[in-house]
Amino acid sequence: MNTDNENGRYVYCIIKAQEEQESFGNIGFQGKEVYTVKYKEFSPVVSDMPFKKYDIDNEEDIKIHTSVVNEVMKKYSVIPVAYGMVFKNKKLVDVSMRFGYKAMKKAMKIVDNKVELGVKIILPQDFDGNLQKVEQCKSEFSKSLKQIAFDSKNLNLFSKRLIMNGSFLVEKDKIQVFSDEVERLRTKYDSFKVRYSGPWSPYNFVDIHIMSQQRGGFR
Amino acid sequence: MLLIDDLILRSIGITIPGLDLIYTLEIIRDFAFKELYNPEKVKNGLKENQMLYEFGEISRAEFEETRSKLMEQLKFAERFEEMNLSVRSDIFA
Repeated sequence: MNTDNENGRYVYCIIKAQEEQESFGNIGFQGKEVYTVKYKEFSPVVSDMPFKKYDIDNEEDIKIHTSVVNEVMKKYSVIPVAYGMVFKNKKLVDVSMRFGYKAMKKAMKIVDNKVELGVKIILPQDFDGNLQKVEQCKSEFSKSLKQIAFDSKNLNLFSKRLIMNGSFLVEKDKIQVFSDEVERLRTKYDSFKVRYSGPWSPYNFVDIHIMSQQRGGFR
Repeated sequence: MLLIDDLILRSIGITIPGLDLIYTLEIIRDFAFKELYNPEKVKNGLKENQMLYEFGEISRAEFEETRSKLMEQLKFAERFEEMNLSVRSDIFA
């Protein structure tokens, strides 16, 4: 792999923009410019970066990817793109946009004007073993928050102490109502530890695979 | 030559207790390796470590130390998976 190839384009996310090209400033990797390249009504948000493997243990790069997406989210609804999506050149970005166009149209309908919010609940370190209360807490959190959210996903319970790992797709104008409900439930079940996070770009509600069976698309 | 002998004997319906025992031990070893070098399990460990840090149950130093260990383990686990060392037991399973 030629890591010196400077024709590469790193894609952070995809938006629906009117303008032919828009710059978000020099906020990308190594202070590179983050800008859009237009394909029909969509615009991938990119930086000129070498075509190379972006390591998942590079915490600094992951933070930059996330902060760029957060910056774009202030103005646009975004179709999220996984960290590490780099194309050899602009032409391949266009090719992937052409092949993924239908999927992107569908995805944009789902995510437009919405954000992802996360709720994790863990057992306290000194858990008293009251399983009935655990079930009641899980059930009430899940039921109440699903009523406000547009969609929701139960994510992997990757730890024995984790009793709920929910991801919620929420319309922007309902974020406050959702947050208030989380706070009410957190107070009600104060013996459990609750972590409320977001707003995130809706990674768990969009899964586009372009010209590849593997996540990561055509590169 | 154990592999070839074992396979030929099995294909003609002959089992030898000694070889069977070795074969069984190999399967147990492969399962143990799969369990130890299971990338999904290591990834769950990474997520749990992140979660405990976010909940304030471990310090930044503890978080980074565990993360560094698990990242090494993950790289090894992914290499192990690519090598597919347990292909023989998969065929017989």
